[in-house]
Amino acid sequence: MKPNRTVTPYLFLVPAMAVFGFAVLFPVIMTFAYSFTEWNGYGAMVFVGIDNYVKAAQDVLFRDSFVHVLIYIAITIVLEVVVGLVLAGLVSVRRRGSLWFRVAIFTPVMLPMVVVAVLWAFVYNNDFGLLNAALQTLGLEDLQRVWLGDTSTALIAVSVVSGWVYAGFYMTIFYAAFNQVPTEVIEAARLDGAGEWQLFRRIKVPMIRNAITVALLLCITGGFQGFDLFYVMTNGGPYGATEIPTTYLVKSVFTFQNVGYGSAMAVVLTVVVVGLGLIFTRVNREKPEEVRS
Amino acid sequence: MSIDASNKQFDSARTHTAKHHAGRRTPLRIADVLFTAALIVIAVVFFFPMLWMVFSSFKTNSAIFATPFALPTEIDFGRWVEAFEVGHIGQYALNSVIVTGASVLAILLLGAAAAFSFSRYRFRGRNLFMGLLALGLLLPLQSYFIAQSTMFTQLAITDTRWALIIPYTAMGLPLAVYLLKVYLDAVPDELFEAARIDGASDLRIFGSIALPLLRPGLATVAIFSALSSWNEFLLALLYIQDDALKTIPTGLLAFSSRYVTDYGLLFSALSIVTLPMIVIYIVFNKQIVEGITAGSVK
Repeated sequence: MKPNRTVTPYLFLVPAMAVFGFAVLFPVIMTFAYSFTEWNGYGAMVFVGIDNYVKAAQDVLFRDSFVHVLIYIAITIVLEVVVGLVLAGLVSVRRRGSLWFRVAIFTPVMLPMVVVAVLWAFVYNNDFGLLNAALQTLGLEDLQRVWLGDTSTALIAVSVVSGWVYAGFYMTIFYAAFNQVPTEVIEAARLDGAGEWQLFRRIKVPMIRNAITVALLLCITGGFQGFDLFYVMTNGGPYGATEIPTTYLVKSVFTFQNVGYGSAMAVVLTVVVVGLGLIFTRVNREKPEEVRS
Repeated sequence: MSIDASNKQFDSARTHTAKHHAGRRTPLRIADVLFTAALIVIAVVFFFPMLWMVFSSFKTNSAIFATPFALPTEIDFGRWVEAFEVGHIGQYALNSVIVTGASVLAILLLGAAAAFSFSRYRFRGRNLFMGLLALGLLLPLQSYFIAQSTMFTQLAITDTRWALIIPYTAMGLPLAVYLLKVYLDAVPDELFEAARIDGASDLRIFGSIALPLLRPGLATVAIFSALSSWNEFLLALLYIQDDALKTIPTGLLAFSSRYVTDYGLLFSALSIVTLPMIVIYIVFNKQIVEGITAGSVK
């Protein structure tokens, strides 16, 4: 369509681009610029070249925060994507009357993460928490723990909460994808004598490969950006056992006023997340041909 | 296909053949029951923490400690009222409604206008602007929140509602524009040309033709934008120190550190925040699932 005036298309675009440029694009550039400086946020800004990046490469705490987030991502891939896939498989065996089940499993996705975090801090509470109480009822007192205060269990405990929330989310994505699988394909396999497990393993899962790739992308890039649960439940503790990049850089910038160093870490994290996103987009673009062949 | 047949196969055998189809009625009923039972067990395990939360909100501290699994002896909403009034939960909820409402409105209006421009016009710089917005789909919050916070401090926007409305709008726009453009691209050009021949201005065409056509898309965008604004935590934590302006996530955190040992009251606050979300979800379940999946599969 031809605009009445050449300027018209821009007039429609300006408000959105102005807000986006002001609150996202400009700060992205400035964060990148800060990463080459030493600055406490209000005093004099000193240009230090790539010193912050060198420091980040040598910072054990920063490296550990990546190790922690990788462990977290590995656990959540199992607890969110794999469990979600299995739940979706279960539900898709018989679709009738499964709404109540999907509602029950999906509900946590609706809640603010802070609510989830406070609730689960109670579940893990060592005085009256649900988990220790359940172990006691089952006669398994030996397994009782200060779940969030023990360096060997804190990271896993937080990851489990993430699984509790997002398993239902991925189940929903996969359930929708399963419903797209043509019924003829399933009926044909069934006539050939395939059981439900074989149907799931050999037909349904391969046919929703794209959805699984997208889910993995979401789980991994989302994992790198994790913050809410960790901040509320442990804030990096005990003894840094659950320190992840974002809790660490928030501390560096807002507690210790190392704006320059924090920005450098933020840039590193951004490169990882955007890089993974670009790789996955490319892989997913190639996928359709592979499936056909 | 009978549902019963599929369950039996799911439960046990891998080598079922067609001849097994005869005479399996009775054993399959049992498999059916077992299957349903398994689903119920899974659902209860998932739902239990929330039930426990609501039960505990009706208990005293000593009852929470002594009998964590017991049902409450009486249902008394007194603590809920107390949390709502004394604990400022009502105020936090109001703030969340204002911030979320303003952000969603802005996202819908600005997003629809930008999508209209990208979809219906060819102009210089179009690809550049679309590319910049597409970048917004990939950029994590961490790539800009540090500079954003120093900027907001310098402009004295922090500790006002704008400190949340502006970034929430900016964060929601890329996906909104992308999705709405897909909707508009599917509309045949003749429709717009016809209006143009009838003498309608660009603004008129946008308002009376594009916007009504976009209604289903706008609903989807509204749902996922509303949920992400409602639940956003990191920026709210950094930009709002004034308790009177806090939204539900940060407000609840402040609440939990203020009443750190009054567990009944804390559980009441959690329940107040949770239950409306569950009700909203059950009522709009279909639209919400669509909105959230569309919002994530970008």
